Amino acid sequence: MSSLKKSFNIRSRDFIHAGEASITVQQLLKQMRIDPALIRRIAICGYEGEMNVVMHGGDGLYRVEINSDRIVLEISDQGPGIPDIAKAMEKGFSTASDEHREMGFGAGMGLPNMDKNADEMFIESVPGSRTRVRMLFLCKGTK
Amino acid sequence: MVPEYISFVEKFCTGCTQCVRVCPTKSIRIRNNKAVFFEELCIGCGECIRVCPEGAVSSSFPAIEPCMKDKLNVVIVSPVLYAQFQGFMPGDVLIGLKHMGFDHAIDLSYYLEMFQYAVDEFVLENRQTHNAPWPLISPICPVVIRLIGLNYPNLLDHILPLRRPVGLLGDEIRKRLSHEHKIPEKDIIIYHITPCHSKVVPDHSGFMDDLGYVDRALGINRIYPELLAKMEQARELELSLFPNEHFSFVPSTRGPLWGMSGGEIAGMRIDGVIAVSGLKETMAYLEKIEMGLFSDMEYIEFRACTEGCLGGPLTAVDRYMAKSTVQKFIKMFGIGRRLPRRKIRQLYDKGWFFSQLKPLELMGVYQSKRKPLTIDDMKKIEKLMSLIHGNDCAACGAPDCRTFVEDVVRGEAELKDCFKIKE
Repeated sequence: MSSLKKSFNIRSRDFIHAGEASITVQQLLKQMRIDPALIRRIAICGYEGEMNVVMHGGDGLYRVEINSDRIVLEISDQGPGIPDIAKAMEKGFSTASDEHREMGFGAGMGLPNMDKNADEMFIESVPGSRTRVRMLFLCKGTK
Repeated sequence: MVPEYISFVEKFCTGCTQCVRVCPTKSIRIRNNKAVFFEELCIGCGECIRVCPEGAVSSSFPAIEPCMKDKLNVVIVSPVLYAQFQGFMPGDVLIGLKHMGFDHAIDLSYYLEMFQYAVDEFVLENRQTHNAPWPLISPICPVVIRLIGLNYPNLLDHILPLRRPVGLLGDEIRKRLSHEHKIPEKDIIIYHITPCHSKVVPDHSGFMDDLGYVDRALGINRIYPELLAKMEQARELELSLFPNEHFSFVPSTRGPLWGMSGGEIAGMRIDGVIAVSGLKETMAYLEKIEMGLFSDMEYIEFRACTEGCLGGPLTAVDRYMAKSTVQKFIKMFGIGRRLPRRKIRQLYDKGWFFSQLKPLELMGVYQSKRKPLTIDDMKKIEKLMSLIHGNDCAACGAPDCRTFVEDVVRGEAELKDCFKIKE
């Protein structure tokens, strides 16, 4: 089965371009006329993921694989990793700096929001080294 | 059915591609040096009319003569009209319209204030009930509603389900005048003078119900020369020729202010409001709302035209000159409230402001009829894009390389149209 793969670089601390990958993918999916509700879920997850990398991570990669039955979104970065994933998944837990909060980020809803919007989410992290979040979206049937 | 908002005059078109590049929904191409147009993608914004240097794009504006004999001719005046005349008061404009032959010239300002109050009420209610998602989107700009229907259908449920002021007023006038003059409703012809290109063509999608209540729309630029002449004549005449007109009260500056970007929200009590104007900016914001941003905001006023309705395609004077006139009115009259809130509250509770049709029912109405691209199509597009390495020169007749390649994959354009590939 054929699948479309795309990848975008995410640069650390680049708030100006944050979200561009999500917008591009959103437009792509619209042209393929995928269910709008699904597109929105993917856009929310992608954006939250991008922002996580921009705020906390080193440079990262946004990768998407579009198949007719499922869409896989993978956001990875080169560190510093998450020491306690269970804690990071809690609503309201945040390690954002004051600077981030001043910009209106850091409510501690990033990962919980991604978990809520994805059909399945896997997160793996090596503290001090890297983090990878993979999200799976099923094209038929809604969550 | 989606109405056709613009038409091209083939003999004037030079194939310069300016309209192609400016179209926000990429609905125009140049083929054989002439513009062709996917009308189902058109949202009626009028950007192509503004940009065409040859006058080859025109509004599909029905050529109608104002004022029919044997009928009661009533005109609803968008307050943007007042801003077109420096040195005249809003009342002068209404008198000028009567000299043009309208039986009643009715100001929209009070209905705009009522609408603002209804938005306040809806937002306050929504804080408790959460019947609609934040941020709510203003239903005022028809172009924005169509844009959402076409490209951001996810956001349809963000649109405030209230009727627009022109619809509210049109409905009311017809009932009242028919009762007062004891004539059947069909003998009342309601005109609407507007700066908005997208209102001149009837839209039967239902939600944009202005034209359900208004019979004919007239562009400001169409009546401007005649109206100006009549207004100057009227200055010479005794004003008492028109005593105590029922509807032509002195408008509050809230009306003219409404035409400016931010004027709609300026009259509201709620906080957490933003005003965005211009199509590019509107699209950027809609994309962000779709990604879950701005959910801490309560209400966003979108206007497709830069600077708001004062910058509409059918205005007669420059938007910044018009703005200066409005600012003069604000200094003179202030923007205080004029209507008793208790009475409006009663109307609100009766459901008078609510639209019969929920915005969500527009889902699919504006959807493009072009076939969706498949995964294989997308792969072909990616491959061709890497071959072209273009800089969106538009010489092929498409607005940018990506759109050109999509047309090729769809079989609507040929690869040989591209300079880069030829080399």
